[in-house]
Amino acid sequence: MTEIPSPSNSSVPAPLWRRLLPPLLAAALVAVLGVALLSPSRNATDGGPLVGKPAPQFTLTSLDGTKVSLASLKGRPVVLNFWASWCGPCREEAPLFRELSTRQGGGQGLAVVGILFQETKEQNARDFIREYALAYPSLRDPGIQTGINYGVQGIPETFFIDQSGVVQHVDRGGLTRERLNAGLAKIGVAGL
Amino acid sequence: MRRLLPSALGLLLSASLALTPAQETRAQHLGSNLRCPICTGVPITESPNDISREMLREVREQVAAGRSDRDIYAYFAARYGNFVLLDPPKEGAGVLLWGAPLAALAAGGAVLWGFLHRKRSAQEEAAPPTADEPFDPYLAEVQRRTRRAGSGEGGGA
Repeated sequence: MTEIPSPSNSSVPAPLWRRLLPPLLAAALVAVLGVALLSPSRNATDGGPLVGKPAPQFTLTSLDGTKVSLASLKGRPVVLNFWASWCGPCREEAPLFRELSTRQGGGQGLAVVGILFQETKEQNARDFIREYALAYPSLRDPGIQTGINYGVQGIPETFFIDQSGVVQHVDRGGLTRERLNAGLAKIGVAGL
Repeated sequence: MRRLLPSALGLLLSASLALTPAQETRAQHLGSNLRCPICTGVPITESPNDISREMLREVREQVAAGRSDRDIYAYFAARYGNFVLLDPPKEGAGVLLWGAPLAALAAGGAVLWGFLHRKRSAQEEAAPPTADEPFDPYLAEVQRRTRRAGSGEGGGA
């Protein structure tokens, strides 16, 4: 048996980093796509551009005719709820707001305020308020001026504003007790 | 109907706020880049709901007040986030979005150029030695034999 010298492989093996580069690039791409797909940024129920910023000012009239402005609530933590009578989740979270409204103090402490969003018939809103015995003002928002100022995308949407008038938490969609408590904790109010 | 709606809306609104035709086109253009926040991917100029109408009114008011496009987009982005802009801004994370394909194209081009260049220079390098080296009959014999041995089946002469 004669040993045939195998023709020497003339190409020198590529350096390690070069061999690892394509699989690493592919892995990085997959990782980025995975993170982008799994991150809940757009579906998140909380957060938003207003968090950490001063709450937009408003002066609106309530359904019973009294003027309410955010400035007049200065020094108090405020829970601001955008709602309408035609909105299903608003109905589901209403008992929580009923419960919460019993907590608000007369001249100080927590203040709960509702703002009507695209309410087509005021009478429906009045019926809603009576049905759930909501003991806090619900304000008319002609021209959705305040809604746009708060960047409301859909209702219900709830803004938790601290004593110094800064938005600390925003929650979209019908609140559960846990989510309401999470917001309340951010503005230093004891949970339900 | 879809085409008529924006102009009809514009006409309806122009009754309440007097804008010059140039301002009106600007407002419509700005509006066509703002996403209706409660619809799916439709600009506020094409959706007939209340909030879109009010947002468009806000745009028109700001155009009338002489605010710049940038300011008006910033006004809405501060409230709704960049999501409200149908054409994402070419800054921040947007730069990555716009720049990544271009960067990838450039990188691919560079790799291809390097590959082709290396191939050509390798060919150029391989050719000269046979021409420059003085003819060595012994080396030629060895090369011929090894080549035959390498290619032929078990040809170990």
